[in-house]
Amino acid sequence: MQCELLITPCHVHLTGRCGALKMMLADNEQQLKENMVSIEEWMKGDMKGSCLFGQLPKFEDGDLVLYQSNAMLRHLGRKHGAYGKNDCEASLIDMMNDAVEDLRLKYIKLIYQEYETGKEAYCKDLPNHLKPFESVLSKSKSGFLVGDQISFADYNLFDLLLNHKVLCSASLDSFPTLKSYVDKIAARPKIKALLECENFKKLPINGNGKQ
Amino acid sequence: MAPYTLTYFPVKGRCGALKMMLADNDQQLKENMVSIEEWMKGDMKGSCLFGQLPKFEDGDLVLYQSNAMLRHLGRKHGAYGKNDCEASLIDMMNDAVEDLRLKYIKLIYQEYETGKEAYCKDLPNHLKPFESVLSKSKSGFLVGDQISFADYNLFDLLLNHKVLCSASLDSFPTLKSYVDKIAARPKIKALLECENFKKLPINGNGKQ
Repeated sequence: MQCELLITPCHVHLTGRCGALKMMLADNEQQLKENMVSIEEWMKGDMKGSCLFGQLPKFEDGDLVLYQSNAMLRHLGRKHGAYGKNDCEASLIDMMNDAVEDLRLKYIKLIYQEYETGKEAYCKDLPNHLKPFESVLSKSKSGFLVGDQISFADYNLFDLLLNHKVLCSASLDSFPTLKSYVDKIAARPKIKALLECENFKKLPINGNGKQ
Repeated sequence: MAPYTLTYFPVKGRCGALKMMLADNDQQLKENMVSIEEWMKGDMKGSCLFGQLPKFEDGDLVLYQSNAMLRHLGRKHGAYGKNDCEASLIDMMNDAVEDLRLKYIKLIYQEYETGKEAYCKDLPNHLKPFESVLSKSKSGFLVGDQISFADYNLFDLLLNHKVLCSASLDSFPTLKSYVDKIAARPKIKALLECENFKKLPINGNGKQ
């Protein structure tokens, strides 16, 4: 089945910081137009100079132009009912997403700065960072991080856990709730379709080929 | 009665913006200071969801993650824009402030002696986008026509940078007047002059 593409984030040729966004869009049957930017084009500097903070991804929703991947997740969460059912849930979702971001920053640092020297220690330390998520999810009636619906924080955590399954293959072995969480989200029909879609599968996780 | 409780180390750290937003909205804050000695015992750390402070309580709601606290208070006190579009732009600006705060924190705690000069030299590249956004702003705030949690956050971070790299705002007239304007808001001014606030070091290792 071919993925459908419509509205525009510009992004370098990788899943990177846009996996969760794409999953949330797919899950909500939203079209996405993707402008892929090659490294060669990026190095010319014009596009970089046009980006508010000199970085991609860039996301457009009509006239609204957004940078910062978590701002994009919050935007889409607001639009597609994935930001909790009240302010209290919204704040808890914010907290969980920020915790996912903390781990994503560690992951990114390993991948781009310390892969060869740091990977073993990273995988050894990883359980300490997964434990809070296992703990929260094991208390959850719905199986989602907050409340009774999937939120942008769930797509973000799911995406990051997929990355870690590749990096540290046994990482979820001691976390049964996280394991079934990943399986459950991956089985959602539109997520499943996205994960099996050629256009999505062919993208490397990271820009330097390491995973 | 203070509905809000903050548990944190005796530093300004990641809680300056939060305190400014509360002060600006006439909100009380009960502060539980945790000494390093107490923290090192491990019990409190073990009780924190992600093993970190600050911890914020609003009635039964317990929050960790300083930016989640800013968003929570922004929602409650009309500092999150007037519509979803503004909210998304505020999110973007706050995330950019957070990016710079992470660089700042890394310098302070990991590279102060060796990295300070290069940091201050590179700083204009990171301030430029904020200067650019603010110079286009009719209201003088980052987004829309009201102050948002992203403004308190940027203001707090700019104060830190004025201490670290004293001439940092010299080539940024809009940022300079932005800082002056927010510092002059009566309740912010009162907080900045308040002994309890002034006596807190910016960072936990004494560097600034």
